[in-house]
Amino acid sequence: MSVVLTVNGLQKSFGGIVVARDVNLTLHRGRIVGLIGPNGAGKTSLFNLITGVVKPDAGAVVLDGESLNTLKFHQRIRRGLSRTWQNIRLFPSLPVIDNLLVATHDYPGERLVNILFRRTRLRAHNKAARDKAMDVLGKMGLAGVADDRVVDLPYGQQKLIGVARALMGDAKCLLLDEPMAGVEGQSYAAMQRVVREVAEHGVAVCVVEHNVAFIRDLCDEGVFMFSGAIMARGSVAELIRDPQLTELYFGH
Amino acid sequence: MEYLYGIIIIVGLYVILASSFNLIIGYGGLISIAHPVFFALGAYASAVLSRDFGIPVPLAMLAGMLVAFVSSIALALPSLRVSGDYLLIASIGFQLGVLEVIKNLRFTGGPGGFTNIPPFLIRDLGRESYVLLVMVVMIAVVLLVQWIARSDYGRAMSAMRDDELAFASVGRDAMWMKIAIFALGSGIAGVAGALYAHYFRFIAPEQFEILQSAAILTMVVVGGMRTTWGPVVGALLLEAVPQAITFLQLPPSVLGPIQGLLFTGLVLVFMFFRPQGLVPAVDVWRAPQARAGKAEEFRP
Repeated sequence: MSVVLTVNGLQKSFGGIVVARDVNLTLHRGRIVGLIGPNGAGKTSLFNLITGVVKPDAGAVVLDGESLNTLKFHQRIRRGLSRTWQNIRLFPSLPVIDNLLVATHDYPGERLVNILFRRTRLRAHNKAARDKAMDVLGKMGLAGVADDRVVDLPYGQQKLIGVARALMGDAKCLLLDEPMAGVEGQSYAAMQRVVREVAEHGVAVCVVEHNVAFIRDLCDEGVFMFSGAIMARGSVAELIRDPQLTELYFGH
Repeated sequence: MEYLYGIIIIVGLYVILASSFNLIIGYGGLISIAHPVFFALGAYASAVLSRDFGIPVPLAMLAGMLVAFVSSIALALPSLRVSGDYLLIASIGFQLGVLEVIKNLRFTGGPGGFTNIPPFLIRDLGRESYVLLVMVVMIAVVLLVQWIARSDYGRAMSAMRDDELAFASVGRDAMWMKIAIFALGSGIAGVAGALYAHYFRFIAPEQFEILQSAAILTMVVVGGMRTTWGPVVGALLLEAVPQAITFLQLPPSVLGPIQGLLFTGLVLVFMFFRPQGLVPAVDVWRAPQARAGKAEEFRP
C-alpha cells in the first residue's frame, strides 16, 4: 500500500482558536478515508491547510515524496492535489462543459503566447480536453447538460459537476468537502459510483462528510476529528460504535 | 479638412484606449485608473527617442509601446502580489507620480510640454495616410481584444473573474494572467500615445491627468463593459459630445469643468439606470464552436 499524501505535525490557530493541533495523516493509493467530526472540528480547515489556501503555523505536507510546503495553492494543485468545496464554487459565467475545460492539468489557453502563436498545440489540447470532459460528464450521467448554464441546474447536479471539475486535473489525491450535503436520488448514487471508481484508478481519496450511511458504504477507513485534533482512526463501523466519540460528535 | 482629420484621429485613438482599457477593467476585472499614464509613457518615449536620439519614428513608436508595457508590469507585479484592490491605490499613486516626474525633468520639456516632435508619414504621403494608419491600428486592436475574449484565454478570464479561489483550485495562476492582461492593455495604450505624439507633434503632462482617466472609464462603462462594440460606441459618443460643446464657444476655464461634470454625471446616470451600458454583455461565456448554435445568446 503506497503512501500518496503525508501530513506531519500540522499546527494552526487563529488567535485563540486552534483549528489544527499536531495533525498527522497519511492517505494511501486507492483508499478512501472518511474524515468525520462535529461542526467546527477543523475538517475543512485541514483541507485548506493541506492545499495551501491557509498557511500553517507549523508542520509539513508531502505529496508523493515531494514537499509542498513552499508552494502556493494553484501550484499544489498542479503537483497532483485536487479538492472540491462545501459550497461548490462553480464558475457561473461558464457553461457546464467549460467549467471542466478550464480545469485540465495543463491549460495552454492560460498563456497569451499560446493563444497568439501556438494554435496547433492549442487545438490538439482542446480536442483531447473536450473528449475527456464529456467522458467524465458521461460517467455522472450529465452529458445531456454539458452546454447548460450551471446556475440553471439542480443542486445535486451542481455538486456532481464540482466533483467532475476536480477530476479533470488527473490528481493523485482528491479531497472532497461534503460532497453529499444536499444531494439526493440519482445524484447520490452517481456520486458514490464515481468516487469509488476514482479510488479504483489509484487515487487517494479523503472525504469530509456528515452523511454516515455514505461514509460507511464508501470508505475503507475513518478518521475522527475534534477541536482541531485527530482523536481516532479505524474502520468506520468501529468509530461509529465508540461511545466516547459519539458523545463528542453529538455534544452533551 | 485638417480639423476633421484631427477629430477622426482623436476618436480612433480613444477607441484604442477604451478597447484596451476594457480588456483590463472589463475582461480582466482589474480596477486601475492609470490608463492615461501608459498613453503618456508611450507618447513621451516615442517623442523623446525620435527627436533627441534620432531613432526612426516607427522604431520609436515600438519603443513607446515597450516602455508602457514594461512599466505596467513594474506597477502590477508588487500590487497584484498582495491583493487585487491594491492595484487601484497603486495606480493612482503611479499616475500622479509619473506625471510629476515628467513635469520636473528637463528632457521631457517639463510642465510646458514637449514640442517639435518629428512627424510621421504626413510629409511624404499626406495626412490621409496617417488617418489610415490610425484606423488600421484601431481595427486591429478592437479585433485583437475580441479575439482574446472569445479564445481559451477568454474562458480563463471569465473563470478568474467569477471566483479567484475556485480558479486557483483547478490549478490556474490568476496573478500572472492579471499581469499579462494589464501589460497587454497598457502596451496598447502606449501605442496610442506614440500615434498621438507624431501627429499632433506636441504633448504636455496636463493632457494625461485624472480627467483622462475619467473619460476613458466613462467610455467603457457607458458603452458597455466586456463587449466588443461597447468601448467603440462609448468613445464615439463621448468624443462627439465634447466636440459639440466646443462649438458653444465657452471660455476654456468653463469648458474643462463642464467636461469633467459630464463624464462623472454620465457614469452616475448609467450606474443607476443602465449598469450594463449601451451595449449589454451577456452573462455566459461560450466557446466559438458552441456559439455557432446559440449566436443570439452571446456576443462579447
